Amino acid sequence: MRPEAPEEIASRLTGGCVLVSGTNGKTTTSNLLAGMLRASGLQPVHNKVGANLMTGITASLAQASDRRGKPRGDIGLFEVDEATLPAAIKRLTPRMVILTNLFRDQLDRYGELESLSRKIDAGLKGLSGGSCILLNADDPLVASLGGESTARKYFYGIESEDIGEIGLRHAADSKNCRSCGEKLSFSAHFFGHMGKYSCPNCGLERPAVDFAATRVELKGTAGSRLDISTPLWNLALNLGLPGLYNVQNLLAAVGGAELLGLDDHNIEAGVEGYSTAFGRGERIPIAGRTLFLVLSKNPTGFNEVIRTLGTEGRDLPIVAALNDRIADGRDVSWIWDVDFEELAPLARFIIASGTRAPDMALRMKYAGLDAARLTVEGNLKKALDKAIERSHEGETIYALTTYTATLDMRRLLTKIGVAAGYWEAN
Amino acid sequence: MPGMQLRICHLYPELMNIYGDRGNVITMVKRCIWRDIAVTVTDITLGEAIDPADFDFFFIGGGQDREQILVCDDLSGDKGQAVRQAVEDGVSLLAICGGYQLLGKYFLTYTGEDLPGISLFDVKTVGGDTRFIGNIAVDCEVDGIRAQLVGFENHSGRTRLGPEARPLGRVIKGYGNNGEDGTEGCVYKSAVGSYLHGSLLPKNPRLADWFILRSLRRKYELEELPGLDDALENAARDAALQFTMKEKRFRKRFGR
Repeated sequence: MRPEAPEEIASRLTGGCVLVSGTNGKTTTSNLLAGMLRASGLQPVHNKVGANLMTGITASLAQASDRRGKPRGDIGLFEVDEATLPAAIKRLTPRMVILTNLFRDQLDRYGELESLSRKIDAGLKGLSGGSCILLNADDPLVASLGGESTARKYFYGIESEDIGEIGLRHAADSKNCRSCGEKLSFSAHFFGHMGKYSCPNCGLERPAVDFAATRVELKGTAGSRLDISTPLWNLALNLGLPGLYNVQNLLAAVGGAELLGLDDHNIEAGVEGYSTAFGRGERIPIAGRTLFLVLSKNPTGFNEVIRTLGTEGRDLPIVAALNDRIADGRDVSWIWDVDFEELAPLARFIIASGTRAPDMALRMKYAGLDAARLTVEGNLKKALDKAIERSHEGETIYALTTYTATLDMRRLLTKIGVAAGYWEAN
Repeated sequence: MPGMQLRICHLYPELMNIYGDRGNVITMVKRCIWRDIAVTVTDITLGEAIDPADFDFFFIGGGQDREQILVCDDLSGDKGQAVRQAVEDGVSLLAICGGYQLLGKYFLTYTGEDLPGISLFDVKTVGGDTRFIGNIAVDCEVDGIRAQLVGFENHSGRTRLGPEARPLGRVIKGYGNNGEDGTEGCVYKSAVGSYLHGSLLPKNPRLADWFILRSLRRKYELEELPGLDDALENAARDAALQFTMKEKRFRKRFGR
């Protein structure tokens, strides 16, 4: 394939390109937005699960075009790895960039958060004046991006303060003001470093929000009921995805849809018809039990999952699988930043699995899980078998898995015939 | 061990905690609780003064450049002096990565930021254009106890030991202080600086117990600590050592 091919194909997409980037929520946000685009009659060209480096995007563009390079689709919708974003902006000249959040994830690959955000800023500077940037206002680091870009900036965020907590958790990454370095003060804190913040020193404020969740009613793993207010509409939506982080993902998708000119019916239909993105909270029936499979790949994501499990009661059967392949990040230190102290009392047992099962088990021990409730089983199939054996008919088994462990689990479930391949689901 | 107490000072927990460094404090706390040693953790951050007599163990983790600049400024003057005084008095201390760099003579970052340290360790650090990233194994000998430490390193700083400095150990696999002279970390009295995240202490419980013993001996008559069941700790360390060494063999064979 010629190196200029992706630019050429992308330039022939009549609806242009949209890039979705950030640490967490890329897949869910793009899938939600894709559903809305389809509901409006458009055919998005979409990259495959996790194939979010330049090579993956190039491959999906090539696959979605005929031999003369004419695309079989109207609009490009690509989830892009944070570190790849500057290159993707340069090559695809997107009409819109959506940035979900920036967390410490795979820092062994990216270096520090600060230098990553500088690179993203440099990338955003290259956007043309007619394009726009949609930013998460709740993330102080993301909200500060794009200052030097001529593209128009829009913000989304959670306005309902009653669901916030007071004080920041230690997994919070960006707690100091980006312009003066002073510690930010939070009037509401959602999770990670997300919240309503201001700087007591230089007066920096969370930007005014264009797409706002004005009311959020969380319903555990069943999802949430939301009121969303946008410049054009007031929407009442039922989201079948758990946690506040998915509320933000939906806000990003709603904002993206409205800025692309979709109407409220398309948005509602897209949310209604949404089927779970791979590993983002799937329920799979297995041996008379339900396996609840949740991708848990970094401290903030994991803490949100634990918070959601807290609404599911006590005595939960849990499999926690930690892999350290390149896509997971080779460094597993981050498990010490997860509040497993809050998971331990919820668990009837935890089976630690994955390539770094002993590390996960050790973390659980120091989180207060006694030896009787803790099992180390590196082999994922055996871990699942043990979880089935030790749980009751009709019960839900919670599988919290890092990125490649989720892939392994999905593959395993497909092999034993209880789940369709994730590539079919997408 | 009723009647005994260990007072931990966690320096800048919200700024200097990258790559799960707080696991070291969790480990110290748990290993005290399991032995019925009363333990307190006091978080000390920007603008808060320290009395060296208030603590038996100090911990400072790693941070990003931006946070390091804030902490460097805060440690200059009385506060850094108090930490030095505590270590001179025999208080134990563990500093990881960015924290280790700031307790040396200086850290000159790659972008040209000059961060003077508190000169607790006789080491100097200069930022490089590449990061040393990967699993690391170290042969270490402290107080006649030989142990292999295992962890994960991720740093751009190259640290050179001064004539007075004693390294924590020799690198078996990985980069350590500077990727050249084979040394890793630094030991001064009961203070240890190291590049190992991981977290370091959970998988290296003998080092954790060394800190606890050194801290308690200052206050109480004590020969040894009661043993704990470290089967899980040792299994996790052995597994990590095993694949770290495998990476080394792979690298040697394929030149990567």
